[in-house]
Amino acid sequence: MSIRSKARSVAVAGISAAAAFGAAALIAAGAAQAAELHHYDSSKRSFWEHPPADWFLGDETEAQKGLNVPAAPATGIPAEQIEKTLKQIKLPKGFKISLWVAGVPSARQMAWGNKGTLFVGAFGVGNVYAITGPEGKKEVKVILKGLKMPTGIAFRDGALYVADIDRILKYDDAEDNLDHMPAPKVVYDDMPSFPAHGWKYLVFDKHGWLYVAFGPPCNECLPPTSVSQIRRVDPENGLAEIVALGVRNSVGGDVDPRTGDYWFTENARDWLGDDIPSDKLNHISRMGEHFGYPYCHQGNIPDPKYAMGHKCSEFTPPVLKLGAHVAPLGMKFYTGKQFPAAYKDNIFIAEHGSWNRHQYQGARIVRVIVDPRGRHAKQEVFASGWIKGKQDYLGRPADIVEAPDGSLLVADDWASAIYRISYGK
Amino acid sequence: MSVRRTLAWAGIAAAALAAAGASSAEDLAAAKEKARACFACHGEGGISRAPETPSLAGQPDNFIQWQLVYFRSQTRKVEVMNAIASALSDADIRGLGAYLSSLPPPQPPGEPDDRPELTRAGAELARRNHCASCHTERFVGQGAIARLANQQERYLLKALRDFKSGVRRGGGVAAMPDAVYPLGDDDLRALAHYLARFR
Ligand code: HEC
Ligand code: HEC
Repeated sequence: MSIRSKARSVAVAGISAAAAFGAAALIAAGAAQAAELHHYDSSKRSFWEHPPADWFLGDETEAQKGLNVPAAPATGIPAEQIEKTLKQIKLPKGFKISLWVAGVPSARQMAWGNKGTLFVGAFGVGNVYAITGPEGKKEVKVILKGLKMPTGIAFRDGALYVADIDRILKYDDAEDNLDHMPAPKVVYDDMPSFPAHGWKYLVFDKHGWLYVAFGPPCNECLPPTSVSQIRRVDPENGLAEIVALGVRNSVGGDVDPRTGDYWFTENARDWLGDDIPSDKLNHISRMGEHFGYPYCHQGNIPDPKYAMGHKCSEFTPPVLKLGAHVAPLGMKFYTGKQFPAAYKDNIFIAEHGSWNRHQYQGARIVRVIVDPRGRHAKQEVFASGWIKGKQDYLGRPADIVEAPDGSLLVADDWASAIYRISYGK
Repeated sequence: MSVRRTLAWAGIAAAALAAAGASSAEDLAAAKEKARACFACHGEGGISRAPETPSLAGQPDNFIQWQLVYFRSQTRKVEVMNAIASALSDADIRGLGAYLSSLPPPQPPGEPDDRPELTRAGAELARRNHCASCHTERFVGQGAIARLANQQERYLLKALRDFKSGVRRGGGVAAMPDAVYPLGDDDLRALAHYLARFR
């Protein structure tokens, strides 16, 4: 199904009947609760065009009131302190973590150029970086400024691709022009303009399809039919197709080297409690399959308001429940030779950690062992130790890439740094 | 951010100083010295007497730091502050954040409210627009979110208008431009009046 239409305005009409039902349920539930608790009428078009500033709240319970997104340190964390933290990070025997480079404000998705440059996207600060130079003397350059939450970047055939909320930009010959980036071409722009769940990572498969997630501008609502999905875009001609439906906020995915299938992480809805619902690891085995949002969470919890008669059995369950509020972001299949053979084709997931759980969890790297069809999945904690007390961080992993030597690089947008995890000497 | 953390001013000040692990006692002394130049405009002890210059005393540590980072990178454009921040190092910024946030915050104005109806309208707008969900129930701010209580009224109005016109975008998920999107200028005036007098 192609969605070449320039329908930037969202398609609300088709879901209005269902939305009206949802609104009625919302009002009924709202009246029963304390008056100060939030309540949104997300059935109106105005909600999509300008989500309220606190769109990520909405249905908090009294016990959850006041939990808010923690802001990272403005100036990152100084290298000496990061080194101290890394000494406390727990890893399996034989693995080692070290500081690769500090001073990369709000570092998020990473992508390698083909001449040894590591490109890094960032969140609120609006920068994209290029990291160059020999090991131990890495230099961080701001190559793009003033973009809109350019967390997601990808690299292919000499060009750097950047997700700028409502446009995907392409910078040709990026690696040869780090000091003076060329003017970008817009390769795709059929995207909503709101920042709410609009930041995204970019992932290429080997055919040149670019996988792009479209999050709903809310915590839990009936989204317009143009979001809550993953599309793949052909940047050569601007054509796109929907590959997954019923997806909440997905910030990270990778292509299975064994099959070419796309796998992705997904952040579950908030405010049902500290322990439900679980965040997910998903596998697309059939084009356009539906992963449940907003009707069903973690494969087996019908939404208290928005299930609306649907059963969880109608939807594709996750490959793995990763845990509640662990916030999985970037993920990578391991294809290197440095780690022991058992790690081949395992998935590493960067969990960013909670913002609205009373005791934070996540902020770690998880290893997943799973067959190519998504069966027999097992997970174990690979690297941990970045949570400080109940609700504070020493670091927050945001993405993972494999280095040419088979070690892993981990971006941390709290410490504004990149770490290297290696095995052996 | 826990609710508890927003309760008592004393608790916040203590936490700010404890969290200043980032900056040593020396850094703090250096910051105190540096801050004297700031007080020329921002008022003695960080309590402003100039209508369009904000008080800094008692702003959350990380809010001060982020604003200085935005001034330095010119993401927030105000000429005097861009010039001042361009000379600040990361260590200066950490020190200033720790020191200024530890100062006692401004108090509600002493004279009686000349426009109680405006105060009531502001309170109602703040409630309907969920301002407290980020700025906290007592509007003391938290993390990278500003303290609003007892700030200079004209400065609050200027800040709200800057978000409305797009001159200022703010950090994080650009929450403030969205927060003021549905509000008219009369609403902004009422909010500024209410917050400046908040008790
Ligand atoms: C020449 C006068 C002047 C001096 C000196 C000055 N400031 Fe400012 N500062 C201002 C003005 C005016 C604003 C308000 C900017 C606006 O209109 O948005 C401001 C805003 C700020 C803000 C943003 C506060 C908020 O609530 O958004 C911070 C933080 C700040 N200054 C810190 C400092 C520090 C730290 C120093 C000393 C190193 C300093 N300033 C020195 C005039 C000054
Ligand atoms: C979703 C969170 C959120 C909501 C809701 C919110 N704010 Fe803010 N507000 C912020 C953040 C974050 C900042 C700091 C912005 C920046 O980095 O410049 C801020 C800054 C401000 C400032 C500037 C303060 C200064 O000293 O510069 C004012 C004034 C303000 N908010 C008023 C309001 C009012 C009035 C409302 C309700 C109509 C509101 N806010 C709702 C998050 C929020």
